[in-house]
Amino acid sequence: MIMQISKLNLLALLLMVFIGACSTPVTRPDNAPVMTAPEQPATPSQPQGEVVPPQAVAPSAQPLPAPPSRTYTLSAATAALVNQAHAQVTAKNLMVAASTIERALRIEPNNPLLWIEYSQVRMSEQNYYQAENLARKALMLANGDPHAQSLAWRALANSLRAQEKSDEAQQADARADALMPK
Amino acid sequence: MKVQLKTFFKKYWPHMLAVMLLPILLIGLWVLQLDHLITTQFEGRRWTLPAKVYAQPLELYAGESLSINELQTELRRLGYDQVAQVTQSGSYQLLKDRINLVSRPFRFMDDNRPERVLTIAFNGDHVRQLWDNKGQDIPVFRLDPLLIGSIFPVHGEDRIIVTPDEVPPLLPAALKAVEDRRFDSHIGVDPLGILRALWIDIRHGHFDQGGSTLTQQLVRSYFLNNQQTLSRKITEAVMAILLEAHFDKADLMNAYINEIHLGQDGDRAIHGFGLASEFYFGKPLRELQLNEIALLVTEVRSATYYNPRKHPERALARRNMILDILAHDKLVSVDDANRAKTMPLGLINGSSNASNYYPAFLDFVRRTLHRDYKDADLTEAGLTVFTTLDPRVQKRAEDALTTELNRLDKAARRKNESLEGAVVVVSSHSGEVNAIVGGRQVNYSGFDRALDATRSIGSLAKPVVYLTAIQSGRYNASTIVNDVPVVVKLSARSTWAPENFEHVANGPVPVVRALSESLNLATVNVGLDVGVDKIADEFTQLGLGHKPDNNPSIILGAVNAAPIDVAQLYETFANDGFRTPLRAVRAVLDENGKPLQSFPLQVSPAADPAAVYQINRMMVDVVQRGTAASAKARLGNLMVAGKTGTSSDYRDSWFSGFSGSHLAVVWVGYDDNSPTRFTGSAGALPVWTQIMTGIDTTSWDEPLPDGVTETMIDFDTGMGVTPQCDPDGLVVAVPQGTQPQMKDGCNTAVESHQQ
Repeated sequence: MIMQISKLNLLALLLMVFIGACSTPVTRPDNAPVMTAPEQPATPSQPQGEVVPPQAVAPSAQPLPAPPSRTYTLSAATAALVNQAHAQVTAKNLMVAASTIERALRIEPNNPLLWIEYSQVRMSEQNYYQAENLARKALMLANGDPHAQSLAWRALANSLRAQEKSDEAQQADARADALMPK
Repeated sequence: MKVQLKTFFKKYWPHMLAVMLLPILLIGLWVLQLDHLITTQFEGRRWTLPAKVYAQPLELYAGESLSINELQTELRRLGYDQVAQVTQSGSYQLLKDRINLVSRPFRFMDDNRPERVLTIAFNGDHVRQLWDNKGQDIPVFRLDPLLIGSIFPVHGEDRIIVTPDEVPPLLPAALKAVEDRRFDSHIGVDPLGILRALWIDIRHGHFDQGGSTLTQQLVRSYFLNNQQTLSRKITEAVMAILLEAHFDKADLMNAYINEIHLGQDGDRAIHGFGLASEFYFGKPLRELQLNEIALLVTEVRSATYYNPRKHPERALARRNMILDILAHDKLVSVDDANRAKTMPLGLINGSSNASNYYPAFLDFVRRTLHRDYKDADLTEAGLTVFTTLDPRVQKRAEDALTTELNRLDKAARRKNESLEGAVVVVSSHSGEVNAIVGGRQVNYSGFDRALDATRSIGSLAKPVVYLTAIQSGRYNASTIVNDVPVVVKLSARSTWAPENFEHVANGPVPVVRALSESLNLATVNVGLDVGVDKIADEFTQLGLGHKPDNNPSIILGAVNAAPIDVAQLYETFANDGFRTPLRAVRAVLDENGKPLQSFPLQVSPAADPAAVYQINRMMVDVVQRGTAASAKARLGNLMVAGKTGTSSDYRDSWFSGFSGSHLAVVWVGYDDNSPTRFTGSAGALPVWTQIMTGIDTTSWDEPLPDGVTETMIDFDTGMGVTPQCDPDGLVVAVPQGTQPQMKDGCNTAVESHQQ
């Protein structure tokens, strides 16, 4: 925990240097309209993967500050389509529900919430392998948004459990729980 | 003698009667046979219906990047009429910051939607809001999709069936007035009509007047061939009478409207007024205006002689004559007829109609469908096919390829040969193919280069090599590799000694420079180190249809692939390491609108997303400062990733790259595989850039995957730098904890801040 805090401090400091220098060589493009800039863009997301210990031989280059976190929501258009898809799933009209989610994905292809919805349609179809892959795709896109990440981990856990991969499912659930805002 | 004759008759009268009755009997049998033919074939009246193929519909929603002008262009493409006040479907009213429209009824897979009245309000280049005529807010609305073609048999009939309520009432009235005045009263043939026609012909000294009733024309078209023999004329008359005996006039008129030949489009025969309306005017029959109806009636007499695209004067003269007849018969007012006579023919131009459909794209659709459907299903069963074609992207891709090839041809200064090219554009997250251009003659359905020109992919192979290297865990973007000459022993007698493009070896360079500057020697050294077999496997893993030979030359792209294959390969990069089969078809519906099959999005993990991200980040540098930097200025703020490809002796010029939402592959070369003088960045890249800057696409902006971090390095040495000590430093993505050592004189960022 202490390690993490000091790392955060370091990153925050590095960011200040950046702001001071006022020149980043690579300009990040504007985010898609569904993403809103958070209050404090400097907050780096907590590293999720395995952290390889830094090389101890000589001072190595610092990681750049993590990109600003993202918050994914559904726009009015995609929310309407998701509602429509839910009704179609309830009516057991699964082929059409999938096509409705694809309509929404055409509008916001990078929105992990829609990929999670798609994973759920595949779950209803008992197509668990596709449900898993779609959840993995959602997970990849959700990086930077803990809430979306948590939902994606949960969708992944459900698809894994349905395939009787209970150990993996449990781990995915644990990731989902850890990210869920208290 | 007399007695003898009498006995003869007495003895043989039954035989003689038989001889006399036989022809009557035979004729009776023949008529019965014709009657049977008519009742069986005409009763159900099932025309063979070619599958109708639609582009993807334009979605309208608040916040969409779409200007009022762009929407107007789309409405025109769909054949919507601009009017002062919207009343009928397929029309729109243009106001200062909004468009009112009445959409056409359309049967989507999930919704048989009636016409809708809609207002779309704009705010600059964006849609602000949509609402219906009750003031109800509409979150999202699909326009009816563009009909892009049909799958008709070779040398076959194409048609769109219309029901009587889809036919403007003036059309049957006009047909009667011009072709068959006594249609409502005659019995199928019209002796008076024939005499009248004969009389006019004799007076004019040539045979011009038909004299056939509409029923006879229908028989001729539906049952018979077009030979002008006496026996055929008699058969035609008998069948016409039989038809009239079995069916009522309204039924026969509707059959006529759907059956008759009204135009020719190469091998495709345009039958029926439903298709003719789309073919000539790009809109449904029910929306036709007076002058347009008159032109279609013109084509009844001879679609060849009065072909309005080839012989506009002839067609116009007869159209106006028909308008006069309609006014004379008081079917329309004289004023309306005179106004209609001042109208131009009003034909849609080549690029936006169903006749100049998209041959290369439809080729791909046909190949997709042939996996699941028999020929007869596609050409006869009346299927509806919803495809992924985006007409706006397709148009942009066609324009970009033709304009750039014209420019390149001038630069190439070759008299007798012109460059060719092909384009594939894909929605990168879904694998949906938005556009395919198969050559510079975009409407010519000949050799489809996008699907069939398998050419050497050259340096497009390099990202595959470096992806294999990064996945081995032994390389990252800052790893120093040796750009030094290498000689590979291929067999006892042959060796392979590749060279750099510039014929200079650069010595030690970081991976990111080797990739972005497309250094051959460094790449060969890396490729040999990670293993040719592993690279060959990676190609198939990523989605190349065939496994390349296990030969070191594949490292430099001695792999043959068509542009569509390259698109599938790069799709996996653009889609974060997930493989998604390219799709051109979304769904197929049967004749009654019931979904038969959908082709849903499928994803499967093909490569480590973290490794793919690292490669993609380097492909951004290809455009930022590598071989594709020439495109940077034109791309402006649009962040893209991509790779140039040039095969040996400049035979093939490639660029494959993607934004946040689209992947495009461009190939430029000569059909005979001769050298072009153009690298990937000189030939294919300008086409690619023109496409990407002309479509509604977003920047490449993938979130950083778990376990990967961004860091800044020196482009030449791969050492860590800070923005302070090296303003020219380059951001790369590397696995966490594998950042390179700091360059001498470059302290850590924290210290430099303290200075």
